[in-house]
Amino acid sequence: MSRLLAGICMLALAGLAGCKATPPGKFESRVMSFGKHHLFIGNKSQKNPLPDNHDTWNDGKEAFSHYCVACHGMDGQNTGVPFADHISPPIPSLASKDVQSYTDGQLKYILDNGIWPSGMPGSKGTLSDDELWSIVVFIRHLPPAGSQGVPDMYSH
Amino acid sequence: MKMKYILVSVLMFGAALLPLKSNVGAQESPRRIEITAKQFQFEPSEITVKKGEPVVLVIKSADVAHGLRFRELNLNVKVDKGGTAELPFTPDKTGDFVGHCSVFCGSGHGGMTLTMHVVN
Repeated sequence: MSRLLAGICMLALAGLAGCKATPPGKFESRVMSFGKHHLFIGNKSQKNPLPDNHDTWNDGKEAFSHYCVACHGMDGQNTGVPFADHISPPIPSLASKDVQSYTDGQLKYILDNGIWPSGMPGSKGTLSDDELWSIVVFIRHLPPAGSQGVPDMYSH
Repeated sequence: MKMKYILVSVLMFGAALLPLKSNVGAQESPRRIEITAKQFQFEPSEITVKKGEPVVLVIKSADVAHGLRFRELNLNVKVDKGGTAELPFTPDKTGDFVGHCSVFCGSGHGGMTLTMHVVN
């Protein structure tokens, strides 16, 4: 009986160790990046219906500030986000080549549906289509890293 | 005698203008439509207005802060928590326009819409 209990405990410990949030290796990252860009994230050809101008950028900045900033920072580059590197996979800078190489349609798809496996949630219904498309414009023209300060929630 | 003639003329002119003035006032008085905004809907969710007819949308918040924006018509109004705000305008084109809540109000914010039909 005690052997059985010990076995269950060891299996549980092994399981917990497997759940530890460790950064993905290079191979894992490459495979996932390829899969996301070419297989899993659709809507590649949809164009942004909103004009790419300062008014839309301002709308996007405001919509982004509602809750995207909790993970991506005010600048979309994780400034001031204390856990950005501690979750798996780490939160990417939205200015990175990996993110910027998505088409506008794919970025909208990600905003609508989120990305699995990652902590990125879908926002369809929480934000309107107009707000989501304006966020795409904001992502295309991110302010310089650190220029927008730290999100309020992390500065108290 | 001349003075009396002038006085009567002035009074008659004034009396002639009086009904004209009240008519003008009645024509310019815009239609008011009351809309309640609450998480996560507008009530009513559809309204119909006439092209060229001045209208005032009176938005009342029943809970948190909300807004109403018609991007295509360049109209936007924000209303404080529990407050009232007015959006006066004159529709200048016909069609169906969808307005969205323009102040983030929670998880269903993105689906909070008001459809406005503008007819001739």
